[in-house]
Amino acid sequence: MDYVSPIDPRAAEPLERAPRPESLDGRRVVLLDITKHRGAEFLDRIEEHLRRRGSETFRISKEIFSRPASTEVIERVAIHGDLVVEGLAD
Amino acid sequence: MTDRTVEFTLPLVGGDHVSLAELVQDGPRLLVFAHADCPTSHLALRHLAAIADGPVRPVLIAEEPPELAARMARRSGVRFPVLAQEAPFPVSEQLGIEAVPTAVLVDAAGTAVESLVGWDRAGYERLLGTPLPDRGPARKPGCGSRLHEPPAEGGLDEPEDMFERGWTDGLPVVPPTPERVERMLGGRDPGRSLGAVPPGGGTATLERVAACAVLAGCRPDYFPVVEAAVEAALDSALNPHGLAVTTQPGGVVLVVNGPARERLGLNSGMGALGPGTRANMTIGRALRLVLMLTGDARPGRLDRSTLSNPAKVGLCIAEDEERSPWGPLHVDRGLERGASAVTAIAADAPLSISDHRSTTPDELAWVLAQAAAVTWSPCWWPMDDDSLFVIGPEHAATFAAAGWAKERVREAIFAAAVRPAGELKRGETTPAVRESPDDRPIHKWADPARILIVVAGGEAGRYSAVLGPCDGMQTRPVTREVRWTT
Repeated sequence: MDYVSPIDPRAAEPLERAPRPESLDGRRVVLLDITKHRGAEFLDRIEEHLRRRGSETFRISKEIFSRPASTEVIERVAIHGDLVVEGLAD
Repeated sequence: MTDRTVEFTLPLVGGDHVSLAELVQDGPRLLVFAHADCPTSHLALRHLAAIADGPVRPVLIAEEPPELAARMARRSGVRFPVLAQEAPFPVSEQLGIEAVPTAVLVDAAGTAVESLVGWDRAGYERLLGTPLPDRGPARKPGCGSRLHEPPAEGGLDEPEDMFERGWTDGLPVVPPTPERVERMLGGRDPGRSLGAVPPGGGTATLERVAACAVLAGCRPDYFPVVEAAVEAALDSALNPHGLAVTTQPGGVVLVVNGPARERLGLNSGMGALGPGTRANMTIGRALRLVLMLTGDARPGRLDRSTLSNPAKVGLCIAEDEERSPWGPLHVDRGLERGASAVTAIAADAPLSISDHRSTTPDELAWVLAQAAAVTWSPCWWPMDDDSLFVIGPEHAATFAAAGWAKERVREAIFAAAVRPAGELKRGETTPAVRESPDDRPIHKWADPARILIVVAGGEAGRYSAVLGPCDGMQTRPVTREVRWTT
């Protein structure tokens, strides 16, 4: 029996994850604050640890946590960093 | 059965007919004969599904009609070619297949060179030239071929098939056959897009929306309302992406106004927020299925709601405009009274408010306000997103008897939900509360405009309900007019 699928096959394909870096040497880490409560405190601590290990960091915030980031924020993340640490939740 | 030339043509699942000569063009193939009633066949297929490309690629020859062959492939995760062989099973006959699974290795010239009966992991590894996952039994006897044993049960169990495909919210669905979907579309362009459905980004073509409406159990005449509901729910003002992926419990609640209510038999009276009426139940469900299936907002996948709520199955409320003393919601939202409209609102589950004692409008507004005061979180004041009050007819009559307009009710509820900041400084509080002196009054809502009011429910019983907001979501209700013509 043939059915009409409610699913868009292009959207159903799993996205491939970017390759994981083997070390942080020489890489710039973007610290993305999505503006959830106390996310900045978490990222402050991560930043301390990264800097102590000699990593370069770049801080950026989403405009509002409950909506997707703007194209501008996504582009700045892509331009300024090799990997991202995101402060995701409360 | 070996050292003989084999030739056949069979239907390929998901494609046209294919011949063995075409299959062996790229090299030798392992033909695996199997059928759906044989556990050993499923065991073999699950192992074969796990292999990456090896020197010899398998082909499933299912002793089943195409729909059951496809189902076998889905259940075992098979991605290699699947051929359907129906009674009287000419290829099984040709090769003398007595039992399943039987694997027959065919070289590039189309000659059967070796065969293996039953499940034998090492034997399959040798024939395929590649290792198989080391799990389950290494050997298992097979079952009789369909040549000699008729199927245990007749045909495909369609409702079960829908569950296996995942085309469901957990309840049984109506299978979206091309005929049903075409009837649902009623001549509309199946390829027209209503937009990308967050969070997965699948395109909501009218055909997919119609498939969801069929799955939900809608009648074709409901489709214009479903279409308007999907349009409203995809409007960025509602923040559909945030609503889909949040840990919050809320969903999209629909309010229908105008002639559509009578035309489709929507219930705005007794039991207005509950089960019992096909139009209310299936229109709300159709929207949820679009979000879940086309948008991939499935619980545990991209829908990350911690608890969710029962209204997320779908909640479609019709306003009782005839019993309401006030103008209807769609008119508040700028449409003509004679228009049919759907308003999509991001909201939590309904909280019922019983009040059989208040005799004055002030007292009743105060009671409604106190119930709403605990929504979202008891000390989270003010809330920025919309709350929906569903006022029962008897409560509405109390306001009407005193000559209160809807705006006055809204203002009175707003004014009655106020507390000094000092009482709110516990648990989850807002920065506004934390930063205020204890004696500063704080309202439950940032603005009276965040209070929406509709009238619905049975004529007897002094109940109303409030649906709390999806707070912090920056979501606003979206209203769309229903277009009846294609």
